[in-house]
Amino acid sequence: MGVDASSLTNKQIRDSICVLIGPLNTKNIPLVPETTFSIDLDLDSLTVMDLVASIEDEYEIVLPLNMLPDMENIQQVADAVEKIVKGQ
Amino acid sequence: MVKSTSMIIPTPTVDAKLPRRFADFATLVDALEYAASGIRGINFYSARGDLDISLTYKQARDRAVEIGRRLTSLGLKKGARVALIADTSDDFVCFFLGAQYASVLPVPLPLPTSFGGREGYVQQLELQLKACSASVVITPESMEELVDEAIQGCDLLFAGTPAAFMNVTKDSGELRLPKPEDIAYLQYSSGSTRFPHGISVTHKSLMANCHGNSFHGVNVRDDDRVVSWLPFYHDMGLVGTFLTALASQVSLDYLSTEDFARRPMTWLKLISRNRATITYSPTFGYDICARRVGAEALAELDLSCWRIAGIGGDMIRPEVMRNFADTFEPAGFVPGTFMPSYGLAECTLAVSFMPVGRGVETDLVDEKKLSGLEYANNGNGKKNSKGNGELNGDLNGHVHSPRVNGNGGTRYREIVNCGKPLPEYEIEIRDPNGDALEEHSIGRVFVRGTSVMNGYFNDPEATDQVLSQDGWLDTGDMGYLLNECLFIVGRVKDLIIVNGKNHWPQDLEWAAEQLPGVRNGDIAAIAVPGDNQEEIAAVLVQCRLRDPDERRSFAAGVKSQILEATGVNCRIELIAPRTLPRTSSGKLSRAKARTQFLSGGLVALAQ
Repeated sequence: MGVDASSLTNKQIRDSICVLIGPLNTKNIPLVPETTFSIDLDLDSLTVMDLVASIEDEYEIVLPLNMLPDMENIQQVADAVEKIVKGQ
Repeated sequence: MVKSTSMIIPTPTVDAKLPRRFADFATLVDALEYAASGIRGINFYSARGDLDISLTYKQARDRAVEIGRRLTSLGLKKGARVALIADTSDDFVCFFLGAQYASVLPVPLPLPTSFGGREGYVQQLELQLKACSASVVITPESMEELVDEAIQGCDLLFAGTPAAFMNVTKDSGELRLPKPEDIAYLQYSSGSTRFPHGISVTHKSLMANCHGNSFHGVNVRDDDRVVSWLPFYHDMGLVGTFLTALASQVSLDYLSTEDFARRPMTWLKLISRNRATITYSPTFGYDICARRVGAEALAELDLSCWRIAGIGGDMIRPEVMRNFADTFEPAGFVPGTFMPSYGLAECTLAVSFMPVGRGVETDLVDEKKLSGLEYANNGNGKKNSKGNGELNGDLNGHVHSPRVNGNGGTRYREIVNCGKPLPEYEIEIRDPNGDALEEHSIGRVFVRGTSVMNGYFNDPEATDQVLSQDGWLDTGDMGYLLNECLFIVGRVKDLIIVNGKNHWPQDLEWAAEQLPGVRNGDIAAIAVPGDNQEEIAAVLVQCRLRDPDERRSFAAGVKSQILEATGVNCRIELIAPRTLPRTSSGKLSRAKARTQFLSGGLVALAQ
């Protein structure tokens, strides 16, 4: 069902993450690869977890806890997702 | 999604053959040996609610004994510290218990909780490992890389995964069983990040508190079952769910904290499916469930089995509880299920519980009485710069929405009844001179009892500040007694509690001061009400910049500096130079800064 996630490009993944961020981006901050979750988007830690859950559902993956400290911005999350879907 | 039929079955709720004992044991080892003679145990579930691992207390006991032998075979002395990166796993449970068979002290340490903040997390681990001078560090494989960074410069006998530990150690060591007066573990949920305080909890204190929780608190019944997502590195998770369930032979279902944060509905699904009866959570856990539930999820839940929904760990917000009860009423939740409680790690965990079935009861108290300030008529309708509604300019570090009764503008605040102190405690409400006050007078809460810690680990100075020679603990909280029940109104100390996690303002301020252009004394970190009246951290920064763009980027810099160093996402408010209030000795007064900020006396600069 759906697209084969492993064939997606990094940019496609990033774009779809931006779509998932949409409803949480209440201040309409422009979303670029370097946009950070805490500083630019001002998401609190519980909202970040909402986002993690929706990303996991989108790709049917698990974002491991030990990767979270290294994810500050959209590009880093896209890279992590790409690594996981291609590793499957 | 249908999973293939699994052979794992959860441990049963009822054990007809094992007579209940309410933690009347001399040590945790005795408690485990008794639980191991029954058929109950602990179960670990995935984010989607599938059972991954089932660990009976018997299996936990057998693994713990082997780990105990291996720990002593390393030559660890009695009382040596074994740091455990506390993921929600059977390994954590077995190592925590295994340390008891070797009379060494397990020290549960936290996991990262959100995006970003790598440096701050590693540094926090490093400081805690040094503060307890750990000899052994056990970490889940997933955390090994971060832990490796944190242990640079530590003098360790072993650091690695549970599997590696089992491989490299010998199981030929002698068991060394504890005595009731021995320390059972160190709890690092108190104290600042930079100067961590490990609380020493003895077997005697632990058993006394587990007895209080299981007998006087929830009064465990034959059909009780606990479901928990609370982390093992927090006192409510460690003592309230894990150790109390073990010491009173209750089966326990675990969802990991990070899975709960992503999928809170799984918590309620497990309660519904496993016919669980007892849970604990800080206010925010109930809040996110009510916010995230959809009609479909609600229709699938049957929460009529739920007997006790314990609330503790931070200030209880009655409006959140009402909202939760309304939201889940169609699923069979009744408001009397709520059980407000009060406790702190310095008392092992619990101090008081509401009687079963009473739910959230509140007392309306005049704001003026709460604040100890006469700020007559300047509070009505004033808002702070963010427009978060009416203000409560109290001195006591507490963030509730005040209620207005409409007559003459007297403002009241709802104070939650935290119930009767456990019988083991003496309670005194004291005035600033240290004299005990009558019922219904607000003062500082002091407690004395068997569950009170014997001190902070290796820190007599910090211990002396809160614990008197004759055993009275200064809780740092303000409250009053009414009909023998304890009502907590706020804190004396400047602690900021965000989603149940304690943050010391000094840590946030110190982080900000590392930025160029920020001077020592320019910063005050305080607790303020967020959009949903929850407690959030705000940092007031004296700012000399005039250009709005420069101010904005300065504020963003402070925010990211604090986030990186501490993991706390603060609201930054710039204020004019030389406006932060000082005490007569020139020290920053956070309490005054907070009162002034919330009452509009300290105005934020435009950004």
